[in-house]
Amino acid sequence: MHKEVPAVLLLLGALALPAAAAGPKHGAKWVVGMSQCNLGEPWRVQMNADIRRAAEAHPELEVVYKDAQNDTLRQRSQIEEFIDADVDLLIVSPKEAAPLTPPVAAAYRRSIPVIVLDRKVLGDAYTQFIGADNQRIGRAAGEWAVGRLLALPQVRAGGRARIVELTGLMTSTPGQDRLAGFHAALRGQPVDIIFTADTQWLEPRAREEMESALAVNPRIDLVYAHNDPAAHGAYLAAKAAEREKDIVFVGIDGLPQEGQVYVRQGLLAASFEYPTGGREAIDSALRILRGEAVPRQLTLHSRVFTPANVAAGGEWLP
Amino acid sequence: MSTAPVRRWLASPAFRALLALAFVVAIGCAFNADGAFFRWSTHRDMLRQVSVYGILGCGMTLVIISGGIDLSVGSVVGLCAVVFARQTLHEGEPALAALAMVAAAGTAIGLVSGALVARFRVQAFVATLAMMVFARGLAKWISGGQKISQAIQHPDGTFSYVDLPPVFQRVDHRILGGNLSVVTLIFLGCVAVSWLVLEKLRYGRYLYATGGNEEAARLSGVPVARAKLLAYGLSGLFAAVAGVCQAAQEQQGDPEAGSTYELTAIAIAVIGGNTLSGGRGGIGLTLLGALTIGYLEKVLSINAVGESSRLMLTGAIIVAAVLLQRRKAG
Repeated sequence: MHKEVPAVLLLLGALALPAAAAGPKHGAKWVVGMSQCNLGEPWRVQMNADIRRAAEAHPELEVVYKDAQNDTLRQRSQIEEFIDADVDLLIVSPKEAAPLTPPVAAAYRRSIPVIVLDRKVLGDAYTQFIGADNQRIGRAAGEWAVGRLLALPQVRAGGRARIVELTGLMTSTPGQDRLAGFHAALRGQPVDIIFTADTQWLEPRAREEMESALAVNPRIDLVYAHNDPAAHGAYLAAKAAEREKDIVFVGIDGLPQEGQVYVRQGLLAASFEYPTGGREAIDSALRILRGEAVPRQLTLHSRVFTPANVAAGGEWLP
Repeated sequence: MSTAPVRRWLASPAFRALLALAFVVAIGCAFNADGAFFRWSTHRDMLRQVSVYGILGCGMTLVIISGGIDLSVGSVVGLCAVVFARQTLHEGEPALAALAMVAAAGTAIGLVSGALVARFRVQAFVATLAMMVFARGLAKWISGGQKISQAIQHPDGTFSYVDLPPVFQRVDHRILGGNLSVVTLIFLGCVAVSWLVLEKLRYGRYLYATGGNEEAARLSGVPVARAKLLAYGLSGLFAAVAGVCQAAQEQQGDPEAGSTYELTAIAIAVIGGNTLSGGRGGIGLTLLGALTIGYLEKVLSINAVGESSRLMLTGAIIVAAVLLQRRKAG
């Protein structure tokens, strides 16, 4: 609609209204900067793909993608480049909260609307945060794990179940929240976490850590990995040690081409979906650019996939 | 009219380094990302980004001129980032004491490498490779394998948070009305110190002599072993400075910090025109090399070039820049 408005009115409009409600700052298209912390995680490749697919339906949007290759300082530089290029809106999935809070806040204070995806920054210098509730997912995973472990013969006979926890990057909020939720569900139950390691969300690292866990612990009942690649790495390590049949593997992400496939193949006993929020980010971006108000927090809902329900599309968590 | 001085300058390494830099800047002007390349903020940010690598490049220059190589500097960055963060954030030490400890740690690592090379005649590549692995392990041991940040984890799993000490903000800070980063100043300071060592101190000439022809230098009475110790010690000290800059910018001490930075430091020294075999070159060439690498990285970044293309283009442009230098020299 704004394309029908003569240039002069557009200029006056830009002076009179907040920048977001006027026209694009440069040219005819809205320029949206997308700062992704890394594309080494399949889940993030999916996030970018979801954003791309949602943006394709809107030719008035031009999305510029920058990949920080998991380097905090590089992501900071890239956010500064977006600020310098004066994009119409910034979508950012930061690697870590503390070091990236200042550049994100700088963009926000320069009247560039900011949508933060998946990992939070500190404070509230952003327009909207989109993410699922990692604490709720962690708790659901914990409750599911307890239910499964209490049915084990050694636990029914009065013993305690033994869990290996392979965490994600603990300086990122999803790692902290998935741990906190899981531990909350375990409180008061006859379970022990006998081994914890930070896999930084990466499969090769998870595999190495699981190999250590296997070497040190003769009996492991369940592996709780904060994401599916880590769960898969743990499974491969257990398989190499011929112990995969004795262990229950639980992961988080639930991507159709990854976690759900593992569940179908019987590698994972459960995968908890963590939606990428890519489509929702574009929806919010369009609303913000049109001058509408959006809620500060947009919480996404998720499903659990098990071999019993994966064909039917999983089950929504309460 | 004598054109000899002009022709001499045109054949000099400095001119060739300028040519490589001009080539990359020209690419930047052509692919300027809607004018981003012509704004000062892009250049200011490029200088900030290249500073840590540039500081490592200064130490690397001294070592390369002496005929050696130092592969451990990246790991020392990680080690010193961890020590600095631990002392200031977790132990609450005042900044100067932490800086002194970090400087001592970096220099000590450098001196051990230097001793292995100078006194025990271990090949520089091997000695510093081993030190690279050892220092990384030491960094992980001191940090417990975790990043040292404002969040301190207690044995029961809960976190408490400390404020960032002022020294972090003083390093990660812009002066002159937001137009120059403090880390860039620190980099230029390291360039100045390197220049003093190479051009104004006797030991600078000893480094050139050692790198040029070690046997001849030794026979002429040059204290070769001490010169090498100085070079590696300074390389370690510069790596410590780089580690502090890294920790301040990341607001944490990451034991993985600096991984593969030594390769960029070598690239900076060599693209500038310092010969890997030693005995020739200077810190001015390193500065030009840092600007070349910095601009290359920046131009690819402002144009949002994806990772695969970025890696291939970086390789191709480095080769092109070096070939450009060689043709003019022939």
